[in-house]
Amino acid sequence: MRTRAEANRQRWAILAFCVAILVLSFGVLKSAYYELVLTQVLLWAVLSLAWNLLSGYSGYFSFGHAAFWGLGAYTVALGMMYLDLTPWISIPLCSVVGAAAGALIGYPTFRLRGHYFALAMLAYPLATLYVFQWLGYQELTLPMKREAPLFYMQFTDPRLYVVLALGLLAAALLITLWVENSRFGMSLLAIKQNEPAAEAAGIDTWRWKMLALMLSGAMAAVAGGLYAVVLLVVTPEGVFGMLVSAQALILALFGGVGSLWGPVIGAVVLVPLAEGLNAELGDVLPGIQGVVYGFAIIAIILCAPEGVYWRVLDYLARRRPARQASLAPAAAAPGNIAALPRIPASRGGDLLVLRDIGISFGGLRALDGIDLAVPEGGLYGIIGPNGAGKTTLFNIINGFLAPDRGAITFAGGAITDLRPNQVCRRGVGRTFQVVRAFPRMSVLENVIVGAFAGEADDAAARRMALSALDRVGLSAQGDAIAGGLTTRELRLMELARALASRPRLLLLDETLAGLSHDDLGGILAVIRQLHADGTTVLIIEHTMQAMVRLVDHFTVLDHGRLIASGRPQDVVRDDSVIEAYLGKKWVDRVASTAK
Amino acid sequence: MSSKITRRSVTAGLAIGALATPGLSIVSGRAQAKSVKMAMIAPLSGPWARQGQLLRQGAEMAIDEINQKGGIEKLGGAKFELVVGDAGDSTEKAKNAAQRLLSDQPDLIGGFGAWLSSFTLAVTEVTERAQLPWLTLSYSDAITNRGFKFIFQTSPTADWQAAETIPTALKLAEAATGKRPKTIGIIQDNTASPVSFGKQLREGGGLDKAGLKAVVDQIFTPPLSDATPLVDRVRSAKPDFLLLLTSAMPDCKLVLEKLDEFKLARGKIPLVGNGAPFGSPELLKTIGPELLEGLLFSVANWPLKGQEEFIESFKKRTGEPFLTQDGLCGYGHTWILKEALERAGAADKLKVAEAIRAMNLTTGPAARSFPGPIKFDDRGRRVDVPMIFAQWQKGIPLSVYPEDRALSKPFWPTVS
Repeated sequence: MRTRAEANRQRWAILAFCVAILVLSFGVLKSAYYELVLTQVLLWAVLSLAWNLLSGYSGYFSFGHAAFWGLGAYTVALGMMYLDLTPWISIPLCSVVGAAAGALIGYPTFRLRGHYFALAMLAYPLATLYVFQWLGYQELTLPMKREAPLFYMQFTDPRLYVVLALGLLAAALLITLWVENSRFGMSLLAIKQNEPAAEAAGIDTWRWKMLALMLSGAMAAVAGGLYAVVLLVVTPEGVFGMLVSAQALILALFGGVGSLWGPVIGAVVLVPLAEGLNAELGDVLPGIQGVVYGFAIIAIILCAPEGVYWRVLDYLARRRPARQASLAPAAAAPGNIAALPRIPASRGGDLLVLRDIGISFGGLRALDGIDLAVPEGGLYGIIGPNGAGKTTLFNIINGFLAPDRGAITFAGGAITDLRPNQVCRRGVGRTFQVVRAFPRMSVLENVIVGAFAGEADDAAARRMALSALDRVGLSAQGDAIAGGLTTRELRLMELARALASRPRLLLLDETLAGLSHDDLGGILAVIRQLHADGTTVLIIEHTMQAMVRLVDHFTVLDHGRLIASGRPQDVVRDDSVIEAYLGKKWVDRVASTAK
Repeated sequence: MSSKITRRSVTAGLAIGALATPGLSIVSGRAQAKSVKMAMIAPLSGPWARQGQLLRQGAEMAIDEINQKGGIEKLGGAKFELVVGDAGDSTEKAKNAAQRLLSDQPDLIGGFGAWLSSFTLAVTEVTERAQLPWLTLSYSDAITNRGFKFIFQTSPTADWQAAETIPTALKLAEAATGKRPKTIGIIQDNTASPVSFGKQLREGGGLDKAGLKAVVDQIFTPPLSDATPLVDRVRSAKPDFLLLLTSAMPDCKLVLEKLDEFKLARGKIPLVGNGAPFGSPELLKTIGPELLEGLLFSVANWPLKGQEEFIESFKKRTGEPFLTQDGLCGYGHTWILKEALERAGAADKLKVAEAIRAMNLTTGPAARSFPGPIKFDDRGRRVDVPMIFAQWQKGIPLSVYPEDRALSKPFWPTVS
């Protein structure tokens, strides 16, 4: 998330860009041909920005943005041919068509991830292409309106198309900027970097992904609508074809994925390059233009794998290291830290109750008939050897897994069927056995993502995050990139992220694992303090020694069954526990020494 | 991914930027001070590059002939010059090429192209606004249905061809065998021109009017992976003849080979097609003369009687095994523009357009290049155009109809 000053600077940059294009169009370019190419540059940039909004930020790669582009083009063409609808109305209408298509496509497709999602997206424009062929719309032309050309967006001055396309591009840039600077963009970035972590931190991943696809679809469809007006001929291959989807992707990849200006850079360089090569070489050495274009893209991918924008940014950052350093201390300003939110500590009642929880994976019974009640204000430990089902139990509590049977109530309400982000919003925070950070975000941003669950206002979320960092003692590292932290810092950061959602119950999954003796003491102190502040804690460990010092109640799991439960000092003497950990021989030895 | 930027990568970026600067693209047959320029836009790269190349060869041949005979007489022997634009493989590229040519060459007097109907539609959106007279061989009815004033379609339109193909084919069959076919099989793909053709037959009443019953009626989406299900229906229904409307050669090949495998080819079931691809040298190269023997196809323009000299010199000049619609039209269109220039008496596009509208040519190279007179109606369609049929005979597709100008006689394939 950018600061307000940065966002303002970006707005000025957008304005400057628009002025530059207008000067270029009205002052420099002297031919209708160059104006036409410029219009196409701007329209492809909008498509690429639309693609970037979904794929660049959320990481869900779409090979199918031609679907939206084509639907927009056909909306305008069919509207004009059959309903005599002016593009002044039908182009805005395209946003509705695009958003609806986005919702329709997203609903089934977001069940998939990674390559599967990308490939499934590929199917939509290809399928739509055949539908439009089947409907008999192989070649549509927008009828020439000699009577009222302006009313039908048919200008004789090609510069007016540049103005319209520029208007769309400016709008697309402002929308992207708004997304980047709000929890919308942060949530998408979190999804891109670690979707389960985002979900567990209270981000409603499904909702944000759907919104991103709908917004992206609307933008692409509007651009496609204007494209139809500019080209005047709409064919299924021309608007739903692979080349359109590829164009959206290539421009963004070239310019810089997940950046505001990347798609624009891509369009400004590659579209005229392709057209220039076509014009220069197309009739001399037919086909060579494609080869040159391909080599240009390969060269860029080799030299700047993340795109031109990021490359230049890295380069500038290295040139001006001083500026970066001066940014660092600002975050830890003590004035920012709000008073600790007090958690209503009504000790005594059971906060979390598990009844007869069971789950199987194929033939393996991972959990079988688990009953557990954690009272409000308790500090409970779950121990057991590897493979006992401890993490599975957490995954069931926070909604990653649905149990085959049994019920979970939290603060009196059933949470068995809720999704992780909903469980988080009810007040259950968690950390992971292997830390799930958002590695390319700063520590503070990692924690802000967690704070969104409890704060409707972005500024409040930021304050909450600062306070959470303070509670775990990480204030000084707020601006560091999460990918560079030590294990201890990562554990603390994840703890802060969980805290930022103001949980009533914290699920800590082997938070102590892999830490040195010194680090251990620090983290234990933090956990004790959280508990003292009123947070109920449920912690998993398999090292018993640390746990005995920390918790006031032990639950022991073995092979998916609850084998003992009670005060720590009693549980460690339990025969079945000793057997589970050390084997039957040790039970006998303990028995003999006791005599 | 934090690799370092290098000087090399910056240089590469700059080089690419420099390449990106679009420049002028002029390919001139012959540059001379007082030349008159006409344009051709056709796909010279991409999947249709070959057709564009043939068009260009025809046009260049006409240009050479005209200039050798003293150029444009009424303009003091000014040389005629061809300016070429590449329509590439998309409507966007075709439109850009048109816009570029018009921007770079403000003194064009006319032009022709762009081969594929959708390209022609896009290109003429530009030329119409520039009031540049434009000739095309594209079939689509849409081209001359838009109320444009500067478009001239030398081919009979797709709907008209669809309406004429079947009755003419029946006439040929009846003349050859004495029997009128009663049933028809249709195998077509769902691209633009077969779809409009098929629509005329089914919804436009083409089949009913001809008294034909469609016993096989199959539409597929190219590319075809296996023609067995299609041809299997033909085998069981045994239509009197099979109408084949495929636009891509691989699909055509698959169907023909499958017909042969099922012992339905080589005259067992007569085949009728539509469109110039059915007479292309590539088809011969891919499928071979035996399987093609007897295949009839209707087409907008095909070499006719009176063109023998041109056919021979075209073959010599280009090394092509025979002349097809594309080379013929490139040649003919160039000659039409030349004739219009002579009548206009000025290198002025509006006057050239006026001359084309008033034209009624029945003699000369332009008229010889097309069946019927060169005369256009208000919409820009030619009037009194006969349907042409060609037939594969011993490895060469020869015109067999209309009889007065056909190079050969048709035969209705029968099993010997």
